[in-house]
Amino acid sequence: MIYWFEELGKEHNDMVGKKCANLGQMTRMGLAVPPGFAISIALYEKFIHETGTDEKMASYVRGLGELKGVGISVFREISETLRSMIEAKEMPSSIREAIASYYANLCKKTGIENVPVSVRSAGTESRPGMFETYLNVRGIEEVIQKVKIVWASAYTARAVAFRVNKGFPVLGDELGVAVPKMVNARASGITFTVDPVTADDSKILLEANWGLGEGVVSGAESVDGFVVDKESLEIVARHVGNKVRCVVYTKDGADWADVPASMQSMPCISDEEIVEIARVAKDAEKSLGGPQDMEWAVDQDLSFPESLFWLQTRPAKVAAKKKVSASSHIAELIAKKFGGV
Amino acid sequence: MAQEKQEMVKMWDGVPGFDFNPEIDLPELNSYFFDGTHSVPLLTPMYAWFWCRHCGHGAQYSAEILSLPRNKGFTFRDHEGGTYIAMRIVRDEAEVAKRTAKFKEALIPWIEDFDGIWAKQRKELLAMYDKLKTVDLDKASNIDLLHHLWDMISTSRRMWEIHFQGMNVSYVAFLLLEDLVKPYGLTSESPEYQNMFRGFDNQVFQVDKKLWGLAKDAVSMGLGDLILNTPVEQVMGKIEQSKSGKEWLKKLNSFLAVDGWRMVRMMDFNEPYWLEDPSVVISPIKAFIKKGGDYDLDSMTKTLAQGREKAIANLLAKVPKDEKPWFEALIMLGGKTGSFSEEHDLFCELHCHAVQRRGLLGIGRRLAAAGTIDKPDDIFFLNPDEVERVLGAPEFHKLQYITKRRRARWEEIRFSQVPPVFTTRKDINEAVGMDLLPSDDAIIIKIVVGELPRVRPELKADIYGVCGAPGVAEGPAKVIMSYGELDKVQKGDILVCPGTNPAWTPVFGLVKAVVSDRGGTLSHTAIVGREYGLPTLVNTFTGTATIKTGQRIRVDATEGALYILDKK
Repeated sequence: MIYWFEELGKEHNDMVGKKCANLGQMTRMGLAVPPGFAISIALYEKFIHETGTDEKMASYVRGLGELKGVGISVFREISETLRSMIEAKEMPSSIREAIASYYANLCKKTGIENVPVSVRSAGTESRPGMFETYLNVRGIEEVIQKVKIVWASAYTARAVAFRVNKGFPVLGDELGVAVPKMVNARASGITFTVDPVTADDSKILLEANWGLGEGVVSGAESVDGFVVDKESLEIVARHVGNKVRCVVYTKDGADWADVPASMQSMPCISDEEIVEIARVAKDAEKSLGGPQDMEWAVDQDLSFPESLFWLQTRPAKVAAKKKVSASSHIAELIAKKFGGV
Repeated sequence: MAQEKQEMVKMWDGVPGFDFNPEIDLPELNSYFFDGTHSVPLLTPMYAWFWCRHCGHGAQYSAEILSLPRNKGFTFRDHEGGTYIAMRIVRDEAEVAKRTAKFKEALIPWIEDFDGIWAKQRKELLAMYDKLKTVDLDKASNIDLLHHLWDMISTSRRMWEIHFQGMNVSYVAFLLLEDLVKPYGLTSESPEYQNMFRGFDNQVFQVDKKLWGLAKDAVSMGLGDLILNTPVEQVMGKIEQSKSGKEWLKKLNSFLAVDGWRMVRMMDFNEPYWLEDPSVVISPIKAFIKKGGDYDLDSMTKTLAQGREKAIANLLAKVPKDEKPWFEALIMLGGKTGSFSEEHDLFCELHCHAVQRRGLLGIGRRLAAAGTIDKPDDIFFLNPDEVERVLGAPEFHKLQYITKRRRARWEEIRFSQVPPVFTTRKDINEAVGMDLLPSDDAIIIKIVVGELPRVRPELKADIYGVCGAPGVAEGPAKVIMSYGELDKVQKGDILVCPGTNPAWTPVFGLVKAVVSDRGGTLSHTAIVGREYGLPTLVNTFTGTATIKTGQRIRVDATEGALYILDKK
């Protein structure tokens, strides 16, 4: 009920959740993905079953009555009750041992004792920002603790409220968990193989910041931007942002920190790295059959090009759409579903 | 000597080249899944020979010309009449990408003119069948019969090539639609979703309507009680004795001349087709009489069609304006999973197999007359290679050493339970995850093998299955293993069976719910269950083995659970 990423692909979405299935699919495509493992939804089900939490939760929810239209304080209370039911339970030894053995193997694989990992929620549906993720988790005790908290995050107040308002059952959105090795990132960023605003697909766009990817994707900070010609792979435009803050590791997690003055207006990635990122993204777009929105990080402990890791790829959302006939549009969508990631 | 010769023949030599051989087959493709939808009861060797070769070939052919991205079709193995299926999965992403580009092109003509392409293929099939039917089997020379055998082989091969194309296209569209409706709060199990695919008229329902018409005629001609109160096999004899009975038989025969090329059992040659044995349609006619004369398929279809239009309109109202044209086209294409999947059974398997049965029995008569086999239907325990070996001059040969041994073995095991999978993986779940799902092949995942039921201890059910059509029903169970027993079904029963095919459709009007051992959410059982609005639970694996006729059961199809209320 635990799998290495390389054993997975997009067809395992319902078994391990979208994030894990994607990491597996990326590994299959030959993208450098941080090594790690995926905990299936079935293991969560085993956990709540063996600890008797499933019946406890079910009977609690049965007693709740009609929830349509109640206020947020009710959802908070439901959330706290359900989450503490899960979090309070001791991990059964068979599950603990299974996770521990994968973690130990990951330490062995990477040659790092208590290798730092992230513990990420992986739902079967895309529900951005609803569930929890923990960065820089070290040691098996911490990993097990965080897995439980991630499982419980299926019952954050906003997730419960979302399901109730959509008419779904309160108990739902069981989560898989992705546990990849942390990339000790010097810089991180995102790459689009199409301009999401103008739909120009002749260029590749990069945005980057020092530190971890959370310092770019939040969109709040001024970051570096680069444009690469897709055909020639030449850098055709660059904008070095005034990067005053970035996200870095802390002792037991990650947090925003100030960027030293000397580095604020220095590009955080080299031209060599920019071109390599663009090259891989171009290949990925080709083999996935459509424009991609990708996340990557450059590890400071490794040398180029082994230092480049890919953390996510998904079809790029483009605002302006080219006009196509209904049948070629359907063919396109079907081909993407069955042939793409 | 004869004894020794007979012992040399085992069931496993029935399908040379396709007999399951674990040492060779398992290391190649890892998992072979039992095809419980088509090989229960276990197949005769003659049928298994055609089926393993040509159905497997048809799947590969379609995967090739449509360039399905993630699989190159499946391959079948025969294990004593049980069919095991393994997917040939494309695991190299660069190859997937190449196939995908071609796939996109190959889909366009189908999206633009599905019905037109299917009409052309249907015509091609009927022309081949008609040619086979012109052979006068009893006047033909031995060599003519040999040619006929080879013509049947190429017809069967072509039938399977055609069979898979429309299925592949409609199923990928259906699966895409399943994804795209999720943001609108619909899943493939929600009634508002299923309503979009109901109420299509098709050939199967048109035939059922004619049968219903015959039932109505029988009642108005005063034959209703006679049909109801006489055992099925004696009805024809009794009816012939009256004048009105003779008149009704005339109607029956003119119906069969058009629609009688239809096998009682879809996947095998060993049971008759309607035209060959008109008494077999008495059973569905009886079902319609039992149900009552005011039962009107037309108005039901009309109501369902109105419901369908409403459901589609409701969904389209929520879809952004510029997405509407293709969304609507996609719904129509996905809708073919229901109408086309029923109709193609009729033009592909049911008709072709009837023509093959006719030809094979003709050859069987020749072999029996020469003393090569004991009776004509012994031929179903041979394969075409063995027939070819003797047919030029059968009087020189004896094949009883084969037919006796194989028939005895088949009689002994044909209803036995066989393993659901042979695999090198840890268990069936892992086998499904690694060797089935990555194929992305809806036909295999949703029909042949079916989704695996989720065991939910909190429900405390006796049997778990997959929801084919939602709803809850309670009633007496009627366990029916084959078509021949269908006339035992009473109004209000819950039908418990290994699986169903289009010939079973009339009893869906009688029962309260349906439970099948095998089949997925797009199996015949699930599709027809939805058309009739019956709670339908599929892929229970052990339904017929666990439930006894007469027991009261409750089927909660929505939850995938079945409860036996009076356990003894």
